[in-house]
Amino acid sequence: MSAPKNDSSMRPCTRAWLVLLGLTLFTYGIGSMSVGGIAATGVVLLATLLKGQVVVDHFMGLRHVRLFWRVLMFSYLAVVGVAIAIAYVLGVN
Amino acid sequence: MSVTAERVEHGRALPGDFAIWVFILAELLVFGLFFLAYAFARSRNVELFNASQLLLDRQAGAVNTVVLITSSYFVVRAVAAIKENHARLCANWVGAAIGLGGVFVVIKLAEFHAKFAAGITLSTNTFYMFYLSLTFFHFMHVLLGMVILAAVMLKARRGGYDAANHTGVETAGSYWHMVDLVWLILFALVYVIR
Repeated sequence: MSAPKNDSSMRPCTRAWLVLLGLTLFTYGIGSMSVGGIAATGVVLLATLLKGQVVVDHFMGLRHVRLFWRVLMFSYLAVVGVAIAIAYVLGVN
Repeated sequence: MSVTAERVEHGRALPGDFAIWVFILAELLVFGLFFLAYAFARSRNVELFNASQLLLDRQAGAVNTVVLITSSYFVVRAVAAIKENHARLCANWVGAAIGLGGVFVVIKLAEFHAKFAAGITLSTNTFYMFYLSLTFFHFMHVLLGMVILAAVMLKARRGGYDAANHTGVETAGSYWHMVDLVWLILFALVYVIR
């Protein structure tokens, strides 16, 4: 989950944390502009999927476990994301 | 042989006790169904959901997202510390994670208070029924997570964990990361998507 730090490099978990903060700022920015629509929603969902995968890989530490568990967690994020997208499109139509 | 050790055959074992992963998957399933129920209810009430969403405190939601992400990060640092046999440092990182959990609780309670003070309840409309029940359900998981982390922190302080024996720290950490993961989806779905 968090490899020991050598003198000049940042811990992988710290990098993951910064990525998550950046994506959160990005998501919040879209929210602040009250931007709606299929494209904006798709971008937010993709950013959320990416954040979720970063948590799964680098915080939960599933990056090096059996493939089954990584596929299971990714599938969860993907199915929930796609279903939300479908519901959103239904609402637009 | 411990349940955790039995799963080392192919790749690394899941961090922590296998039983917590059964619980985590069950909770993710429940929250997933809750999210989909919200999303499809929204598809039938788009104007109502959009209008009601505008009254949410998105800043509070964003701050809470940062708080939980950072709290999760502190737990990762705690696990790293105990793997290097730094039990006191591990306890300190867990304590910091609990502190941020407390910040989340305070902000969330303030949000709930503002809604109730404005006369908004579960029966106000469908959006608020989902918002209040979903965030309260998550809130309860945060409280449980803080209790679990507190137990881990106390045991770490007493020298109950070391580099060779720290399954409890990873178990608690895995649960806390699940709480964080669920909030990431909840924030995007309820506070942002419109």
